[in-house]
Amino acid sequence: MSYIAVEALNKAFTVRKKREKGRLLREKSTVQALKDVSFSIEQGELVGYIGPNGAGKSTTVKILSGILTPDGGSVTVGSRVPWKERKEHVRHIGVVFGQRTQLWWDVPILDSFSLLKDIYRVPREAYEKRLEALTEALQLTDLLRTPLRLLSLGQRMRAELCGSLLHGPELLFLDEPTIGLDAVSKLALREFLQKENRENGTTILLTTHDMEDIAALCPRVMVLGHGQKLYDGALTDLLARYDTDRVMTVRLGGDLPPLPPCCQVQRDGENARITYSPEQLPTADLITLLQAAGPLREMTIQGQNVDRLIAAMYREMDL
Amino acid sequence: MKAYFSAFRMRWKMELQYRGAVIGGVLCQIFFGLVLVAVYRALYLGNPQTGMRLSNITTYVWLQQAFFRMLLSSDPELMDKIRTGGIAYELCRPVQLYGFYYARITAQKLMGSLLRAAPMLLFAALLPEGWGISLPASLPALLLAACGVMLGLLCVSAMECISMGFTMRTLDFRGVYALMNLLMATFAGNILPLTLFPDSWQRAITLLPYAQMLDTSIRLYTGAYALSQAPAALLIQAVWIVLLVSLGLALWARNQKKLIVQGG
Repeated sequence: MSYIAVEALNKAFTVRKKREKGRLLREKSTVQALKDVSFSIEQGELVGYIGPNGAGKSTTVKILSGILTPDGGSVTVGSRVPWKERKEHVRHIGVVFGQRTQLWWDVPILDSFSLLKDIYRVPREAYEKRLEALTEALQLTDLLRTPLRLLSLGQRMRAELCGSLLHGPELLFLDEPTIGLDAVSKLALREFLQKENRENGTTILLTTHDMEDIAALCPRVMVLGHGQKLYDGALTDLLARYDTDRVMTVRLGGDLPPLPPCCQVQRDGENARITYSPEQLPTADLITLLQAAGPLREMTIQGQNVDRLIAAMYREMDL
Repeated sequence: MKAYFSAFRMRWKMELQYRGAVIGGVLCQIFFGLVLVAVYRALYLGNPQTGMRLSNITTYVWLQQAFFRMLLSSDPELMDKIRTGGIAYELCRPVQLYGFYYARITAQKLMGSLLRAAPMLLFAALLPEGWGISLPASLPALLLAACGVMLGLLCVSAMECISMGFTMRTLDFRGVYALMNLLMATFAGNILPLTLFPDSWQRAITLLPYAQMLDTSIRLYTGAYALSQAPAALLIQAVWIVLLVSLGLALWARNQKKLIVQGG
């Protein structure tokens, strides 16, 4: 049996709306956050979980981490049912909610860590070894004695991650862990997660809106929309379906010649960015066209921006 | 068990960080103490009362003011966790949530009131007779009063956990806390010493949980409860602790099943 097995998971929330004029009672409506979602994840996998806002991603994570009880369906994580055996379950998992904080605001982060050590009953020796490895990898060594409130967002995020990994969880849920991070911190964080996954075999489920995160980290993605699973597979396969257009950036000696209507041209100083579909206009033909107008000084061809692709995908799936 | 103790120690440490708040609190409570003492002096001088001696009343006032922090319910951080959903993290811990919060609340109340009580009692002891605090009835009375304060602390923490349990449902602590603080100030003897209520009232009021928080200890200290009455007084406190903790545990267990942490 798979490490994580989710079968026909359902969860609905009741939302009360503002009372309309002339009505005595507030109207209630149900929002189906998850509709028959099923998937399975093996130990040691690194899975990306994407979908537009309100798709039900966080709901899934909350159910898997035992915070929320579903209305229907079955879930087992390593043979445990999260919400039934909450205390035993959470001992084996680590969670980072990018928007919330688990460390104490006014005390040095080292104190928060030592509290976590006691909560998870990590033996002193193991804790010290783990702490050293983590603080080094996450570049926190100099910050251990600083109260959390004095840390920058990126530093805080790294500290949060360190706190979630102190007890060496076998499963890690990351809910938007790179939110608000600068480029350097993001790269460092990604590298760290890959290492953690590779060396300790930690299973990681990553929820994010940052497609770069997914592209860099997750060989497998699941797409969720309106509470339903829409795709489950390799990111490259998913992108290939939507990644039909190419962008050619050129610098021409002369003026740009008239191009067929299937091309979109964007000017950027001396450069021109031409978006075209190789199926309609083969790349070789486009180059011939351009060369006829003047010497081709520079040229690069790229696939489309991942965010655009995902936007196109969401549009097509009517999300 | 270590986890709960650790949480207790953390909150304790944190309280030490707010020294400015301690100084502010002490000054404020000294001001209130002096005003109240002046009022009771005026009352006694204008119209000599039988029953309670003035020095007993001023002692009562100062002890109430010194331990005011213990009664006052507020751990804004915990409230924020409930309001903003930070409690989600707490639910991801292999601990009993109620015990974890109970430990934090107790630590905050204990440390907060000790830090304030020490300078205030010193100040009150230096005031002249009839203004300040008098010595305890006897040494055993003092020790019993100290036990009483500890039991009172456990009682008031359990009470606050119940308010917190309601906050989890209403998501806004102001309503519940306004009510709780009002009941507390009245029936714990903060507004008017319980010893000044009519005797028939006192018989009922002293059985309420609010009286267990501080009033019992003060009566033990001043000798209003004789040593022979002490076991019964401490027993009532213990009974209330058991009742309030059980009630809180049940409320939290129910909440936990229904709790929905909203938002991403």
